[in-house]
Amino acid sequence: MTDRDNDSWVNDLRKPGLQREEALRDMRSQLERVLPRGISRWLSPNNAEFDDLVEDVTQETLLRVLSQLDSFEGKGKFANWVYKIAVRLALNELRRRKWRNVSLDFLQQEADDGGVPFQFPSADPSPESMAERREIMHLVQHAINEELTAKQRAVMQAVVIYGVPMEEVARRIGRDRNAVYKLLHDARKRLKSHLKKSGFPPEELLAVFDK
Amino acid sequence: MKRFLIWLKERLVSKGKSDSMLANLMRMLAATKDKELACDDVYAMLENFTEAILRGEPVTGLMASIEQHLEVCPDCRDEYEALLKMMKPA
Repeated sequence: MTDRDNDSWVNDLRKPGLQREEALRDMRSQLERVLPRGISRWLSPNNAEFDDLVEDVTQETLLRVLSQLDSFEGKGKFANWVYKIAVRLALNELRRRKWRNVSLDFLQQEADDGGVPFQFPSADPSPESMAERREIMHLVQHAINEELTAKQRAVMQAVVIYGVPMEEVARRIGRDRNAVYKLLHDARKRLKSHLKKSGFPPEELLAVFDK
Repeated sequence: MKRFLIWLKERLVSKGKSDSMLANLMRMLAATKDKELACDDVYAMLENFTEAILRGEPVTGLMASIEQHLEVCPDCRDEYEALLKMMKPA
């Protein structure tokens, strides 16, 4: 395989022909070698779907690289820019697969019915936890239900309680990830400020869990 | 939807996860800033940030803002960790 600098990668990939074919072949083999390292935490290499996923993501990444070549700014290594594209594609596909059979209808419920109240999975924390933690849980739960909008509450429930990726939340509610992030950021700011004003800054509440 | 919630509740309660969820939420709130970078801003700089981390550069200025985003955004955090693994010499 040829060792290319950024300019060589971009120049070779820019024009159709033998050089492009060779560059694509090199990048394909590089991705097929490196991508498994990146995604093995989310999908075991022993999983029957693993090899197909690597192959599909590699193929899609190469197509995106060709179509987005002009957006490479050249601040870092070209290969790392390509890896970043592959990571986003692979993890988004894994997120979609993991949640595809799970109903998250409450995300679509609008404020007209008041939405779904936020609830930690149990009023009682795990047996080993202290009464202090139980009180914090009630306090936070109450603050979320009183201070946040139905939409903010539902998204927080999905992300914090159910562990739904923001990307998947975005897909379900027909928004993009930036919008979901912004919605949650506003919710966090509001909650933090409310807890602070009530005399319970999150930093101090957190200390209870580090005991 | 109700059936799903009941199933989920049982599954989570059986594992006693409330504590860690609450701690996780408190961690996110403690790390929350008035001004934060959005996911798209972080994505645009993710490989440069990761290269700088691998070079052992100090996390200041814009890098600190990216790091703060990674503390409160599980999706970007996962992408950063996957990219870090790919970029680290084998």
